[in-house]
Amino acid sequence: MRRFLAFVLCLLREIGDENAYRRHLAAHGLTHSAQEWQVFFDAKARARYQRAKCC
Amino acid sequence: MQRLLGRFAWVLVSALGALCLGGIAIHRGEPINSIWLVLAGACTFLVGYRFYAGFIAAKVLCLDDRRATPAERLRDGHDFEPTNKWILFGHHFAAIAGPGPLVGPTLAAQFGYLPGTLWIILGAVICGAVQDFVVLFCSMRRNGKSLGQMAREEMGRTGGIVAMIAVLMIMVILLAVVALVVVNALKDSPWGTFTIAATMPIAVLMGLMLRYWRPGRVLEVSLLGFVLVVAGVFGGQWVSRSAQFAPWFTFSAITLAAFIVIYGFVASALPVWLLLAPRDYLSTFVKLGVVMLLALGIIAVRPQLQMAPLTRFIDGTGPIFAGKIFPFCFITIACGAISGFHALISSGTSPKMIAREGHALPVGYGSMLLEGFVALMAMIAACVLEPGVFFAVNAPAGIVGATPQAAVASITSWGFPVTADQMATLARHVGEQTLFARTGGAPSLALGMAHIFARGVGGDAILGFWYHFAIMFEALFILTILDAGTRVGRFMLQDLLGHVYAPFHRISWMPGVVIASAAMVIAWGYFLFQGVQDPLGGINSLWPLFGIANQLLATIALCLCTTILIKMHGARYMWVTSMPLAWLVSATFAASWQKIFSAVPRIGFLAQASQLQSKLDAGLVVASKIGETQTLIFNASLDAVVCGLFLLMTALVLADSIRLWTGILAGVRRAQTHETPFVPSRLNAEEI
Repeated sequence: MRRFLAFVLCLLREIGDENAYRRHLAAHGLTHSAQEWQVFFDAKARARYQRAKCC
Repeated sequence: MQRLLGRFAWVLVSALGALCLGGIAIHRGEPINSIWLVLAGACTFLVGYRFYAGFIAAKVLCLDDRRATPAERLRDGHDFEPTNKWILFGHHFAAIAGPGPLVGPTLAAQFGYLPGTLWIILGAVICGAVQDFVVLFCSMRRNGKSLGQMAREEMGRTGGIVAMIAVLMIMVILLAVVALVVVNALKDSPWGTFTIAATMPIAVLMGLMLRYWRPGRVLEVSLLGFVLVVAGVFGGQWVSRSAQFAPWFTFSAITLAAFIVIYGFVASALPVWLLLAPRDYLSTFVKLGVVMLLALGIIAVRPQLQMAPLTRFIDGTGPIFAGKIFPFCFITIACGAISGFHALISSGTSPKMIAREGHALPVGYGSMLLEGFVALMAMIAACVLEPGVFFAVNAPAGIVGATPQAAVASITSWGFPVTADQMATLARHVGEQTLFARTGGAPSLALGMAHIFARGVGGDAILGFWYHFAIMFEALFILTILDAGTRVGRFMLQDLLGHVYAPFHRISWMPGVVIASAAMVIAWGYFLFQGVQDPLGGINSLWPLFGIANQLLATIALCLCTTILIKMHGARYMWVTSMPLAWLVSATFAASWQKIFSAVPRIGFLAQASQLQSKLDAGLVVASKIGETQTLIFNASLDAVVCGLFLLMTALVLADSIRLWTGILAGVRRAQTHETPFVPSRLNAEEI
């Protein structure tokens, strides 16, 4: 049960881009800040919303 | 011994699946329990996944876990990142699941539950999941390239250009039809309108929190958003009962359509972090939660299906949309069985995140099977309603009559008894003024879901809450599709216009943003107003157009897959994708042909235009309706042209592909694929 809940939480974090943000910080050796999140989010959103959403 | 037990288990699963499929196919008379459909679907999907998909993975695509994927080779921490297969499975499923698998089966329930159920189960296994899986594989072997890029490389310019035009046209029809679904669900409904209106300031609040106050805390902010949205559903009930505030949120279909068009324009021009992205997060979480809740509800409640396996409307005279089972059932249910749009997702983010080639099997094939399961649940939710109620909600006033008495008389005369009192009581229970002629599928789906949820929690006392919760869930992600789609269409238009006037290429150039957004909104807004004004409810003409357009994209995707399989193995395994392609082309061509040239005015656009013109010429139209009739004639002719364009593009891609295939098989053309060369994987198990 605990493993399942951990999986669900991990999935939600992936969908919510929280995992991707952590990877971004780790890959570039950065620490979390509002400005860093904005830079990350803007790049992510620019790519995401150039593709159609599924029907 | 273990192997023997394993084989025995699969024999049992297969036998149970066959028994349930046979049961629902030959059952007549008494209502059948929905668990038969659930078991038939689950067993067929399990067998299809284990054996058919396993065969494709091993023999046809030759998936190789020793080969490094783009996620490993091009790892950048952003787009390319090796991801756990079950996480990616959930991510991919969340991306492909939209309103299509919910609305399509609901509309197709007018034929009875049997045709749609069989098409969902068999279509998902043989067509949809194969398409998604093979496209994902092809993109994964080509550095995560998009469908358009692969079509250009492997099939030549025709496929690539047609794919781009097709996507733009499909977007316009898709946005119009989903907007129409929302308009029909919210017209004259202060409760529903307040709830949906409340989601906008909630999304803006979430956007501001994520940007400035809680940056990076997406789950936390989304949880707050969810609590506020649920509070909005309760608030909507209070508003609907308030003599002072209810009129503020009571709008006709035309007014709502105007609001949605304005909203689409504003939302596509606003920064994404303010409205679109936060609502996208929220709608994805709500979507996953509600789908799970519905699955649990159906398993716990095991409702009886009230709809017959086959209704009299298999003869093509259905009130929701006109046309026989073939081809119309197969284009009405697209996303639950096969959807061309999935090919865009399978060649988008997912191929860039696959850690091992073998993971393409659960991600590509498995996710589509789960989508098929969602479609099956929508079919169950629609069919648990009494058929008389189902048709009273979904049949347009132009078919059954504008008054409750006329509507119930028409529907009862078809053999589906329903009374005006019964409908009035139901409307009162769900907090609506009326449930007649709420075309589009969303209200009847919400009613079915509310019945299932209410039997699990709260009973009839909170039927209204569950109904509006389901409407909120549907409208939330439809609105996200609307503004995201308008934005994507804007980018595509700016890209095209940039060839004429270079500044259009700059996506932040304000005149370009305004002009391209306006053009996109006007395009889908026109079809939306056409649907709202259509006396036949709009769905009759727009949903088949959307289905045809979506299947056109699937045709392009399957042509690409077949081309690549021929280049890999010659003719040996081309049947894997050419078999669904042949079926899809038959259904799409037949549907397009009938929608243009059928002599029945409710089916054929030209016959509809001709009938209206004859009435006009004969002076049978009153003076006040002449302008409206001329508009209807123009709309029918325009729909015929759009449908003809879809038909032409399908024929063009198919002819070009056949020319290519025969050339390769005859040895006249080189069978050169554009796969990236083999690089051994160095990924550790711990990294994924």
